[in-house]
Amino acid sequence: MSGFNRHPGTLAARDGTRSAHVWGRLRKNHMGMAGLVIVLIFLFIAVAAWAGLIGQDWSRVTGGRWESPATGHLFGTNMLGQDVMERAIFSTRTAFEVGLLVSVLSTLLGAMLGALAGWFSQSLLDEAVLWLKGVLDSIPFYLFVAAVAFAMHGSPWAMHIAMIATFWTSTGRLVRGEVMRLKNREFIDAARSIGLPAHTIVIRHLLPNTLPILLVQSSLVFVAAIKTEVILSFLGLGVQDGVSWGLMLAESTQEVLAGHFANFIAASGMLFLLLMGFNMLADAFQDAFDDRAGL
Amino acid sequence: MILRVLPALLLLLLGGCGGSETPSDSQALKVYRHSMDGTPGSLDPAHASSIYANFLVVNLYDTLYRYRYLARPYELAPNLAQGLPEISEDGLVYTIRIKQGVKFIDDPAFPDGKGRELTAHDFIYTIKRHFDPVTLSQGAWLWRDRIVGLDEWKGNGSDYTQEVAGLQAIDEQTIRIGLKKPFPQLLHTFTGGFSAIVAREAVQHYGREMANHPVGSGPYTLRSVDSAQAVLDSNPGFRQEIFRLEEEGYNPDSQKHLGLEVLEGRSPPFVDRLHIDFIAEDAARWNAFTSKDIHFLKVPVSQFDRVLSSRNPVKVIPSLLESYRFSSSLESGFVYTSFNLDDERIGYHPDPLQNERNQALRCAIIKAFDWQSRNEVFYYGIGRVFPGLIPPTTPEFDSSADRFSVERDLDQARALLRLHDWNRENLPVLEYGFPASVTERQMFEQFRSFMLDIGYPREKIRPLSFATFGDFFRAYSRREVMLITSSWTMDYPDTENTMQLFFGPNMSPGSNSSNYNNEQFDQLYRDSAAMQPSEQCTEIYRKMNQMVIEDCVAISGVSRNLLFLWDKSAIMLPDRSFVGGYFLRFVDLKDPVPGDG
Amino acid sequence: MKASHYIGRKLLSGIPLLLGVTFISFLLMVYFGPDKTFELLGKNPSSEQISKVREQLGYDRPFLSRYAEYFRQLVTLDLGLSESSGERISRILARTVPVSIALVLPGFMLGNMLGILLGLSAAWYRGRWLDKFIMGASVLGMSISFLVIIIALQVLLCTPYGVNLFPARGWEVNDASSYVYYVTVPTLAIIFVTLGYNTRFYRAVMVEELGRDHIQTALAYGASSTELLFRHVLKNSLVPVLTRLMFSIPLVIVSGSLLIESYFGIPGIGKSTFEAITSGDQPVLKAVVGLTAVLFVFEQLLIDILYRLVDPRVAEA
Repeated sequence: MSGFNRHPGTLAARDGTRSAHVWGRLRKNHMGMAGLVIVLIFLFIAVAAWAGLIGQDWSRVTGGRWESPATGHLFGTNMLGQDVMERAIFSTRTAFEVGLLVSVLSTLLGAMLGALAGWFSQSLLDEAVLWLKGVLDSIPFYLFVAAVAFAMHGSPWAMHIAMIATFWTSTGRLVRGEVMRLKNREFIDAARSIGLPAHTIVIRHLLPNTLPILLVQSSLVFVAAIKTEVILSFLGLGVQDGVSWGLMLAESTQEVLAGHFANFIAASGMLFLLLMGFNMLADAFQDAFDDRAGL
Repeated sequence: MILRVLPALLLLLLGGCGGSETPSDSQALKVYRHSMDGTPGSLDPAHASSIYANFLVVNLYDTLYRYRYLARPYELAPNLAQGLPEISEDGLVYTIRIKQGVKFIDDPAFPDGKGRELTAHDFIYTIKRHFDPVTLSQGAWLWRDRIVGLDEWKGNGSDYTQEVAGLQAIDEQTIRIGLKKPFPQLLHTFTGGFSAIVAREAVQHYGREMANHPVGSGPYTLRSVDSAQAVLDSNPGFRQEIFRLEEEGYNPDSQKHLGLEVLEGRSPPFVDRLHIDFIAEDAARWNAFTSKDIHFLKVPVSQFDRVLSSRNPVKVIPSLLESYRFSSSLESGFVYTSFNLDDERIGYHPDPLQNERNQALRCAIIKAFDWQSRNEVFYYGIGRVFPGLIPPTTPEFDSSADRFSVERDLDQARALLRLHDWNRENLPVLEYGFPASVTERQMFEQFRSFMLDIGYPREKIRPLSFATFGDFFRAYSRREVMLITSSWTMDYPDTENTMQLFFGPNMSPGSNSSNYNNEQFDQLYRDSAAMQPSEQCTEIYRKMNQMVIEDCVAISGVSRNLLFLWDKSAIMLPDRSFVGGYFLRFVDLKDPVPGDG
Repeated sequence: MKASHYIGRKLLSGIPLLLGVTFISFLLMVYFGPDKTFELLGKNPSSEQISKVREQLGYDRPFLSRYAEYFRQLVTLDLGLSESSGERISRILARTVPVSIALVLPGFMLGNMLGILLGLSAAWYRGRWLDKFIMGASVLGMSISFLVIIIALQVLLCTPYGVNLFPARGWEVNDASSYVYYVTVPTLAIIFVTLGYNTRFYRAVMVEELGRDHIQTALAYGASSTELLFRHVLKNSLVPVLTRLMFSIPLVIVSGSLLIESYFGIPGIGKSTFEAITSGDQPVLKAVVGLTAVLFVFEQLLIDILYRLVDPRVAEA
């Protein structure tokens, strides 16, 4: 219901020597390339906002209350008289901060725990990881975040930590399955027979094979993180300092019924484009890695 | 006849789907539909701290006094009391006689389920109950250190068999109260929900579930309550008292258009049922009102421009007056932002030089604060900005007072900073606390933009947001928040109630959240506390006000203008704050079928 | 392995999960949870009053005794009283859960039925334009935030800016027509937000089934496609479909209704939870979190056991 698919379709990874082949397929996928372009444009905006080139006036009051779109304010102003465009642009930076941080860390965590559980399957360690996953999956997500926010006494990182702590589970499950499948394959047997230590085998030989899973998962988590930020900001548990599309939408909930749509249109439009870019990209990754989907 | 059927219906509804009713049922009844912008929470009088809870409690229970329905400024009127009290020469002993034959409503809490007569002992019990730790009273502070023997009674373990010297029932109808020192506001404390009279049997029977099982003797009884709506039925056993316009302070010049004359000579309550919808969302409340789901609306600020044709004076769009009535009045209270003086980065500092610099910094922040924009954006420009802590609704308000502290002057603010050697590098980080909500965050963002204008670096003004109001409350009660924005709603119409906001002994966790500590101020507060309203008293209040302004303790303040709209079929004069709720007793409807459901 | 043996082992394996779920929700929600002390105090409290309130709220008791108490409450379903309204929590649940179920059920069912329909069509015409169209549309659907959908639907359907046919707020349901009146917009919102994900999921399931050898063989021999569809494909995909449905129920009721109910002012469990979050009402929060989590654990066990009963091979997988 969070709009986050906890169990995205499994995909199968093959040998690690197909990157050129995969890239070739990716390039032929028009939707995927369109997604990539969208994501890159947004990334560019985010970097520019980071570098202080655009969107820097997001906190200053530069106009009157709810001014309509005009040359000075392309998207008009909000209730305080802040420029909606500046805020929407700066929010791109926030979106990437949240999305990257959560997707990278939760994917890494999922990869690590999943690999450990898969390598030592049926052991106590495996049981422990499965137990943790079961526990985290059983607690309603928004309540979990609220609880983390309470526990951390309003720390600005509460939202990120809650997302990382829960989003790793689907990556973990997929990586565990993949590692269990691969560890009995010949090349692993060979590595074992020449006496390579377990951690070297896992890190050097198994994890690279899960890369497709990790790529798809991290883009899906990115989408989930941004979507979740919107809901959490509406609930008052999201971004603390700064501005985000979620905060803009939360503001808009108090304005749209009075006929002020600038915040809503700007934030939901940009949010939609970025999410679509990522979803298309994730699809393309999935297709490119999936041998069965060859067209 | 209909009223007899109600308890049975109530049972049916409780077992069923609550709140719903058959059309024939509502057609036969006069139902007034009210709306509030918040939920009452507990209906236990000891917890009636919010205006929403107070609003319901004073209708479900009885209080000794109330305010005259139509008199402005507010005047006390006896409610359960037979008249105004006899007060001894020294102002220390109050003798109050209460009406005879008043009965609690029928309830399983009583033996055989029949409500018994309310006596002076019930009042004594009610006040004592506030001093019983088990009650977790939120209103005990009103009477703490006031009544002879009461604090000691609590100290001795709150044993109800022990008597309190200053709280005696002379006979079934006579209450005698002995004060430690004069307390001119005493009768005001007997108008609020905290003093609403409860029955001991109900407390024992329901315990903490008193919160939604009110057993009182007020004009209405509770039919159902949940997080969205409360339904109250008129109390068939409520005492018959004839309504007289004159006694209620009717002013034909300003109140003629309300059509209140039809009430003359009848006995309230005039409607059979109250529906009170709790609608927090502004737009939803507006929609419910315009589609005639509710009779009454406190107009949300976001809709002011749809309602008003002129701001100064406040005038409503004429076409609206065809179907609605309108009133506007300033709230009895204000919104202000206080500095936590206990914080060495901005407040008192042991080093006198630094102390002085900090004060200059606070003054500069106050001078950089743009009250006009604040009023414009958040209160549609019709709030009333005033200097210090004497709000415009009080008689002590001085309209000719110097407005220096609420007038923005960026040059002066910058000059102050320069003079005291403050610059971008050494300015302290400001932490502005608020409970997470859109409006609170917008207020913070506006504050930050004001400060950007005097060169305060953006990254040095940080939000400190809290998931709940309770967590915010805890943080500033522990003096952990540097800038605290809050609104104060007066408990009774006397400036003493705002002066105590800066009284030294009331420091956090008390209501002096700025932790202002000025011996001179405290002395003046003590001097004035025992005075009846007088010119001399006003003089002292104004002097205290000046101190708070000069010491730059708070960015203060604005009293919000409240606009009410109500359907023409509702005959009433609505009100809010401390008197809020009493008008419901006198509500009447022209058309027995409101809005055709 | 015998079925009874299996069931016993499964139930035992649920115990650590239950302990974990209750422990984590206790730790976060109760031990480090919101603090209502100062809200419950009157103005100008003394330090003695503060400690009294903390004592009454149980904040001062040791960790383990509070956890044990929490566990006892969940087991006995004696959940105590709300700290904000004083209402008995079991009563709150009895009052609000039916509303939430009535609210989300139509959207949940329609969302899944449409999802199956679309997923099946896409799978059947795999690789053709219909498949591409459905998959493309589902990407669009997956890219819209729930909050955006709710706001947009409210503006379009419940205000003069749109068609203004439905209520912007509230829940006064007493017959079928009022039910339709109040439930339509939330239902549309739920369908919108879930359809993209559902379609994809069901398409994957159907593609898997259609790709099986016996289906392909039957097709090659010219079996009737409708018969094939209903007798084999749908029947075989029942297991993953039902699993998905079962797993989403508790989360749908709490998380899904949380947003819709707080936005549309509907007095269900989601609104109560939202209010408990914003007011820090610990007893309500811990009851909701604890009960949903426990229900979820039991549901997982139940599903596992049912599978085993239906298909003994599952147990070994």
